[in-house]
Formats: sequence, structure tokens, C-alpha cells
Amino acid sequence: MLHTSVFPQGRPRLPRIPRKLAMKLRPALIVFLLAAAAGFTFAAVSTADFVQHLDRQTHSLSCSFVPGLGRDASGSSGCHAALMSPYSSVFRTWLWGGIPTTLAGMAVYAFLFWRAARMALDGKATDKAATTFLLAATGMPVAASIVYGSISAFILGELCKTCAGMYASSAVLAIAAIALVWGARKPSPPPPAEEGDDEAPPENLDAAPAPTPAYGMTFAWGAAEASAFVVAPVLAYLVLAPDFSDKLGQCGELIKPADPAHLFVPLGGPPNGVKAIELIDPLCPSCAAFEDRLAFSGLDARLSRSAVMFPLDNACNWMVGSAVHPGACAISEAVLCAEGDGTKVLAWAFEHGEAIKTASAADPAAAARMVGEAFPGVRGCVGSDKARQRVNRSLRWAVQNQLPIVTPQLFVDGVRLCDEDTDLGLDWALTKMLAGRKEAR
Amino acid sequence: MNKVALPVLVGAFFVTPILAMVWTSSAEARLVEAETSPDPSAQAAVAAASDESYCTPELKKILRRVLQSCGLDSSAGGRGCQPLEAKSVAALSGGDFNALFDPLSDRAGIVQFDLDSDALDGSDQALLEKLFADQRGASWFFVVARSSPEGSSEHNRELSQRRGNAVLTHLETAFENPELDQQVGLLQLGEEFAQLSQNYCTWTRSGDPASCTDADLNRSAFVAWIDCRL
Repeated sequence: MLHTSVFPQGRPRLPRIPRKLAMKLRPALIVFLLAAAAGFTFAAVSTADFVQHLDRQTHSLSCSFVPGLGRDASGSSGCHAALMSPYSSVFRTWLWGGIPTTLAGMAVYAFLFWRAARMALDGKATDKAATTFLLAATGMPVAASIVYGSISAFILGELCKTCAGMYASSAVLAIAAIALVWGARKPSPPPPAEEGDDEAPPENLDAAPAPTPAYGMTFAWGAAEASAFVVAPVLAYLVLAPDFSDKLGQCGELIKPADPAHLFVPLGGPPNGVKAIELIDPLCPSCAAFEDRLAFSGLDARLSRSAVMFPLDNACNWMVGSAVHPGACAISEAVLCAEGDGTKVLAWAFEHGEAIKTASAADPAAAARMVGEAFPGVRGCVGSDKARQRVNRSLRWAVQNQLPIVTPQLFVDGVRLCDEDTDLGLDWALTKMLAGRKEAR
Repeated sequence: MNKVALPVLVGAFFVTPILAMVWTSSAEARLVEAETSPDPSAQAAVAAASDESYCTPELKKILRRVLQSCGLDSSAGGRGCQPLEAKSVAALSGGDFNALFDPLSDRAGIVQFDLDSDALDGSDQALLEKLFADQRGASWFFVVARSSPEGSSEHNRELSQRRGNAVLTHLETAFENPELDQQVGLLQLGEEFAQLSQNYCTWTRSGDPASCTDADLNRSAFVAWIDCRL
């Protein structure tokens, strides 16, 4: 049989691994095991934080480079931003909150730990096929870390410390896996002992000529095992996650949804879409995040949306004892003054909310000045009696409808979306609410 | 495989699904507990009109009577209340009637007219608009029109009615508020009941600030938002 090779001169010899280095590479497996355990712990903390929200209550989150420490109840941490973002789970329209991606992360880290532990116990720490598969499997958390790290940095603009723990663990796993693959190379025969070399001839580290690695079998079994690791917890989660169908539509309805004073600010959507009214504070971070989630869900395309201004600022709102969001009254006036450009003012306020609030806390006139600089067309209107009256009447619209003093609120066809469904459960709840309603014809 | 290794490997496989089950079950248990014994402090307050501390039960009782009898309450029909009616429903002396409005010193204003006139000049309009625009959470806007004692009681009663209507007409023009009819109520007291005393010179007024005679004060419409929920 004609044998051809890409190496006509014979397979080139790989660089020789010095015996001492080969000895040092053994700890790579230990490092790998520790990194997998660390990654699992970070993923478990994050998953526990996610799953605790299935009780429909608010909770503090662990946000620290030390897993489990640094619980934050303010809702302003990077971990909170990541958890409440649309990227924290998948299949959100099927299940309330969706399936947390960190649950799969836990499973993958557990799998990697299990796989590495088996290699150690079976004496396959230098098995070429086994270590190569381990490196390939490590690609999963590494790829996920790159994707989620990029989302965190470039889209959310927040650092989630617990997530960073997972990214770091994945990086260490990758380095350890590369070291293991490197160490699995068949060591070269020892050089002839030189005169004066008192070092004992090296034992042939795992040098029993390795059989041709059964890559196919190793990868097939490994993939099946990995799948089992991921499928088992996902199934358990799907089976046991609470069903909130009975909560839909149980959080109130609008008593007087009409807008005779033309206070509603059109937010867009198809004219024949399902009528939706949002109660919004233009400087409320939750409102901005809610808008982002709604847009990301794609469900806004089925809604014909309008906003009612409800600034949580005691400069105009007698229902709040203090300025929860200083400057919100002036910005609300600007949104109403801008008429057709109200959405632009709203988007600007959502983007610059923190700066506006900080400036307004020091100088009550700052918000009006800032919005006037950004939108010169509203300058003469903001602060006028008419503008103040319109904001007042928006607030009184909430009074007439006896609404809770909280933002944001969404009413779909007059039915209130429960507060508990405005973040993690938004996609699921809104999909269900829309399922029973048809767009206007 | 040794005795220690097996539990480690088995544990590594089962730890994730077991934790998922424990966490979800725990969340559901908390959900049930929260539903069976809800925390009242966790309930958000409901939007409502303002109800200031000066709105004592006694004051509310009198306000309700005045509002219903004088046409401020939308259910009562009619608008405006003549001096005798105001006197009888409130069953108060003029001084006690005026004292009802004392807590409103920072919310009220006195729109001063010229002698025998119901015309609003620029400063009158500015004060009226400023006060009306500052509604906040108030439910009722009182316009208590008066006249000074010059002339006959009948003429002064009619003059105070015209002054009250002038205020209402200006508000309707300036604010285009569809709820105005349900919010603004008029009392036309003429010269006969609850004349304002010099104590009111320090209150916000239109007209010449240097002049504050009894006649100046009572050729007027006293206007104020009432921050009481009835």
C-alpha cells in the first residue's frame, strides 16, 4: 500500500519537554480542578441570586470577587444590571424569567471538574485525547466569558464582579488545559547521560507509548457527558420553576383611561397595535432599564404606546415626601412641551439621568437649564404655568386612576402589568397578556 | 476507583440539578408564604389628592357643607353661594369663617379690584395665574368675592358676583382646563358677611402694596387652593 505523508522527511520532532518542566506540568491538573471549582462557585452564587427572584420579591445580590460576600441591596451594582439584563437568561417567553445562563455555567464547570477528576483518578492526566478534549470543552466557558464580558463592557457598561469571577476562572481553566495538553506530549527519549551528570536517568513519565488517541470516541463520549451535565439541571429547573399564570391581570386596571386633556406622550408603535400606557418618571433608572428590556424583547412592536409623566420629585409631586429624582419635574415639563419630540427628550433624559439628578440636587434650576441646552425649542415652555399645569394634570390622572406611587407601570389594554413582572418576567408576562388581545383593526 | 473518588464523581454530576431543585423549591415556598401573610409595609402607597395637616375633621365637615351648598361639589349642581347661604350652611360668624382660611396663608392670594369694578388688570391676572398654576395636590379652588361697603347691599352683592365670575372666566381662558368646572367654586359675599380685616394686609395681594385699607382688602376676590381630601 502506498503510504503518503505530508512530511516526506518523516514527522518532525516536537520540541523536547525538559524533564523538570514535565514534572511541573502535573500541577496543571490541580490548578484546573481548583479553577473549575471556583468557576462553579461563582456561577452557583449568581444562579442562586437569579433563582431567589422566583418568589417575586426584591432581593439583595452578592456582588464580590469573593463568592457570596458583598451583598448589595441598592440595585445599582453591576451584578444587578447584569442579572436584570435580557442577557442573563434564555427562553424568556416560555418561562417566567427564562433559564438562567449561569445554571448552564454551573453545569459546565461541574462537568469540567468531573472530567478532570476522572482523568486524575484514571491516570489519564497525560492522555493526549483526554487532555485535548478537556481543552476543547474549556472552550465553552472561555467563549461564553468572552461574549458575556464583551456584553458587560460594551453594552451594559457595568462590571459584574461575580461574573468577572467566572471569566477569571475560565481563563485559568484555559491556561491549565493548554498546559495539560502540552504536558501530554509524548516525552522524548532521554538524552544520553553526559559525563558528570549525576542526575538519575529520567523515568519515562507516562511514557508508555501512548496508543493512538481515540479522539473520536473521547470527544463523542465527552460531548454526551457534557450534555447530560447540562440537561439534568435544566430539566430540574423547568419542572420545578413556579407557574405564575394565575398572577396575570391581577394587579389592577385603569379606572379612567381616557385622556381628555391630551397629556399622553406618544412613544411609538403601530397605530393598530394593542393600546399600552406607561407611567414613567423620566429620571428613573428603572424606567430606562424597563424601556431597554421592552425594546430588547421585541414585544414593543405589537404595542401602540403612550407615556404619562409621573415624576417622583416633590418639586411638583405632592405624593412624595422628598425628591426621589431631583429635576424630574422640569424634565417632565420638557417632555410635554416638546410635543412630537417628547420621545427624544425622554431618551435624552434616560441617557443623562444620573448627571441631571446630581446637578439638580445641588441646583434646582439645573434640570431646566440642561434640557434647554439640549432642546432649545422647549426653553420658553419649561417652567411656565401651562407646563406646570400639564405635569400636575398628569399626576392627577394617576390620582383619578388610583395608581400605586411607583414607576414604571405598564397598562396593556387598560390592564396593569404586575410590578413583579416588569423585569425578569417581562417577556413571559407580556407575551401572555398580548396572547389574549388582538391588535385594533 | 477508590471509595473516595466515587462520591466525588457522583456528587459533581448531581450537585447542579440538586441545587437547582433546592433553590426553586425554596423560592416557591417563600412565594406561598408571602401570599398567605403579605407584608403591609411592602405595599406601595396609592396616588391621592393632598390632605394637609390643617384639614382637621371639623374643618372638613364645614368645608363639605360649604362646598355642597355653594355649588363647588359637582354633585350638588349650581355654582356660587350667596352671603346668607354661606352663613347658614357654615353656621359661623364672619370671623370664624375667615379663620377657616388662615392656614392657607402661603397658598392664597387677594386679587384686589378698583372701586365698583370687576375688571382684572395685569397684576391681578398675573397673581391669579400664578396661584392657580400652583395646584399641587389640591382638589378645590375657592374664589371668595367681596365688595367694600360703599353703595347698596344689593349692588355690592351683584358686584361681588361679577368679580367672582371675572376670575372664573379668566381662569377658563388662561388654562383651558376641562376639569375646571369641577374644581373652582365661587362664594359671593358682597359686603354682608366675613369682611377681611387688616390682618390680611400681609398676605399676597395684587394692586398697590403700599395701600392696604379695609376697602382695598374687600374690593377683592380671595383665591386659594384647598389641600383637603373630602
